Amino acid sequence: MSTARSTSTGCFPSPFEVAIPAACEGWEDMYAYHAVFAGDRGEADVKRFWFQNGLHCPEPLHPFDSVWLEHAHPALNQANARLFVIPPSLGVEYRILNGYAYLSGNSITDGETIGRRAQLFAQRAGHYYANWDELYGRWVEKVEAATRELAEIEVPELPDIEDEAIVTEGRGIGSTYALLAAWDRLLNGFDRIWQYHFEFNSLGYAGYLSFYELCREVFPSISDQSVAKMVSGIDVLVLRPDEELRRLARRAVELGVAAPVRVAGDEESLWRSLAESAEGREWLADFDETKREWFWFSFGNGLYHNHHTWADDTSVPISRIGSYVGSLERGEDIERPREATAAERDRITDEYRMLFPDEMRQRFDESLALCRTVFPFLENHNFYIEHRYLGLFWNKVREFGALLARAGFLADSEDVFFLQHHEIREALGELRLAWSSGGAGAPRGPRFWPPIVERRKAIFEAMREWTPPPGLGQVPEEITEPTTIMLWGLTTERVRSWLVSSDEPGLVAGIGGSPGVVEGPARVVLSARELDQIQPGEVLVAPSTSPSWTPVFGTIAAAVLDTGGIMCHAAIVAREYQLPAIVGTGTATKVIKTGDRLRVDAGAGTVTILGQI
Amino acid sequence: MSYLFPLEGCEPRLAEVVGGKAVGLGWLMREELRVPPGFAVGTHAYREFVTDTGLDRTIHDLLKDAGSVDEQAEVSRRIRSLFDEHEAGSALREELAQAYERLGVDRPVAVRSSAISEDAAAASFAGEHDTFLWVVGEEEVVRAVLACWASLFTPQALAYFGRVGLHPDESAMGVVVQAMVAAEAAGAMMTLDPVTGDRSQITIEGSYGLGEAVVAGEVNPDRYAVDKITLEIRSRTVSAKHVASRFAPTLGEVRLGEVPLAEQLLPCLSDDEIVALATLGKRVERSLRAAQDIEWAIDASREVHLLQTRPETVWSAKHSPAATGGHP
Repeated sequence: MSTARSTSTGCFPSPFEVAIPAACEGWEDMYAYHAVFAGDRGEADVKRFWFQNGLHCPEPLHPFDSVWLEHAHPALNQANARLFVIPPSLGVEYRILNGYAYLSGNSITDGETIGRRAQLFAQRAGHYYANWDELYGRWVEKVEAATRELAEIEVPELPDIEDEAIVTEGRGIGSTYALLAAWDRLLNGFDRIWQYHFEFNSLGYAGYLSFYELCREVFPSISDQSVAKMVSGIDVLVLRPDEELRRLARRAVELGVAAPVRVAGDEESLWRSLAESAEGREWLADFDETKREWFWFSFGNGLYHNHHTWADDTSVPISRIGSYVGSLERGEDIERPREATAAERDRITDEYRMLFPDEMRQRFDESLALCRTVFPFLENHNFYIEHRYLGLFWNKVREFGALLARAGFLADSEDVFFLQHHEIREALGELRLAWSSGGAGAPRGPRFWPPIVERRKAIFEAMREWTPPPGLGQVPEEITEPTTIMLWGLTTERVRSWLVSSDEPGLVAGIGGSPGVVEGPARVVLSARELDQIQPGEVLVAPSTSPSWTPVFGTIAAAVLDTGGIMCHAAIVAREYQLPAIVGTGTATKVIKTGDRLRVDAGAGTVTILGQI
Repeated sequence: MSYLFPLEGCEPRLAEVVGGKAVGLGWLMREELRVPPGFAVGTHAYREFVTDTGLDRTIHDLLKDAGSVDEQAEVSRRIRSLFDEHEAGSALREELAQAYERLGVDRPVAVRSSAISEDAAAASFAGEHDTFLWVVGEEEVVRAVLACWASLFTPQALAYFGRVGLHPDESAMGVVVQAMVAAEAAGAMMTLDPVTGDRSQITIEGSYGLGEAVVAGEVNPDRYAVDKITLEIRSRTVSAKHVASRFAPTLGEVRLGEVPLAEQLLPCLSDDEIVALATLGKRVERSLRAAQDIEWAIDASREVHLLQTRPETVWSAKHSPAATGGHP
């Protein structure tokens, strides 16, 4: 490392020192009592190191959206600490501060305890590794079934008079029961999907890490991206939607409907211009089926209700199909370099393999094989859960919101996301009480909830304007927890660099997520809606990317992200597309402006602003 | 038997005759890599010279009293002046003149020692023996060959031989005569990380001008780390290179000169050149099936020339750290 950085003795603010931003008083009431920093926990929270979870929570959380933290963390911690007994990890704590989520790892450092846990881990993880494909196949079935169940949940209409069948079939159970049962099924299903989410997650990362550590042992300077490249080029679902768009573009050309598809822009005009001809209808049928199957892709990471999916707003994939059609008409190649990526992967793997000492080569082969087995899960679970399941889940919550809005409890169905989940249940409880008596009981909800929602909306807007500090509490001596490094890109050096203001103006440092050196103009994109502004050859600068952003990787010259480590979506896709990516910069979107001329050097992990406009 | 061997003909079987440096260069040439043309002077030329002149016995006697550092310095001085006092035999002079002429009339050449045993080769690499740069004219070439022979007895070589238990009296010296590269930049490259032994890395050091300033420690070179597999430049450490060895035409010799202030902190290699060098290093390593220690130079038209390759010895002798490290 050429940059000398003095060991800083600075520290991050204590979570209790961080002032409540203007107009945010009362923000704590929007979240679970245990999710906020509280002095009655004693010194515990002050003594830990907390980092803002910009990877999953780059924006403040709506009160309802924070529900996923309540389900994900118990499942994660249970898997690590008690189920698979990951030797050095007891999972991750979370807190919310002024709307933003912070994380802090629970690590075990005592060698004896780790050794004891390692025996259990070897048995339990060993079972999964040995039967991975079968268990993963079952996992997909379980998740598919859970997704169907979710889609089938019906929000009762609350009729004026109950259905006669309840009487004739002697059911004895009416809509008041059905209403809360539907809500509880929704939340129970949500709880269960997070259990599934973490069934394989830590094991997948552990498999990847054992290969990573073996490589580091023999090649201390091997780059993270080289390790990742050895498992790349495998088909993962994250790339599938973009492939489907390209397929639809090719199909449009084949069927002779290229021109109308290219200019359509939205679903309505697609139907208007294509429904006339047999070829057009054939293409539309294909489009519809593809949409059902592959459009459950969030514009964000899926963890926010307002990120929406392609299925909610098809204009984005339709425009993308259109631009693919345009490329095809100009005779351009729209395929991602799948074979080149695979060939490069094989070359790299072979070269490292040959440099391995003879007596260790078998271990290399076995570890790589395991890694390639577990890798698809690490990306695919995102499609199944964060994108598809959650995409459906948020919409189902909207249906309950609509019911509450119709009853006057909320001004708008979207307002439901400004209530906590238990508050929604409470409101539904009062709603059914009011309905049960035919409105005779004068419900309090219509007067009670709207002012609360209004107040919270104002707080929420103020929280958005606030910039959360990247770290809180004690500066860690050293960060060794591998998933923290891999997923969030948090190395000891990175965290310390937050304490020093950048001594090199015009230089943004991060982690090379995909190799290469390139120069080009910057395009800062803060949300998926701005993706269509990207011009070919530009360097994408964004807080993070999600699978639905995949198509732009065929256009851009490089990607620079605020968050993420080598296993984040952007790094994985950049490697597939063989273009450089810098992840985990922390500040790129704040420092870099659209139009700035950038030099991206993934080998050095730096972005240099060569010229500003 | 002829005294000289064309460099491209210096095969491994001739190692005892022409020395490791000539064999390494011969290998590179047969791999069709760019190496300055030249020839090697066999050790039999040296042996014949010291026998014919009776220097062998004199040296043998002198070396008996070369125990302390002071004695080594004195013995060295006396032996080397003896080489100055004698002429090379006419057959050798004739062959050298012809071979030199074939390289080109009055072409500047480097006359470099190419010692025989592996330890001697290490000593040679470490600059224990002499190299003469920008030698012009057949008379000068002959003198430089003799001076190379004499450098078998530099004080540092005597000390080194004493340390490794080798007797210089029994050693012999091959010599390489090779067209000079007017280097704009030069240095060394190892096809591993010398600090960690990581064989997936390539380490390049370089500075302005001829490589001598780097070898002599006159200048702190730039250092580049390149990933051997992906050929990414992993780090660049650019040093203030305040001086450079260059040929000074007015003086007719290689001198250490000042580097203009504005250039001192510029990298001596472009990124493309760093990658090109690493690619060459990778190719040489693959061909020789072992980690290599390579000397290189880049001329005014930015062509890369390889000046030496030899097996890396430190880590290769050890085994990889992991292989001996013991693992759960």
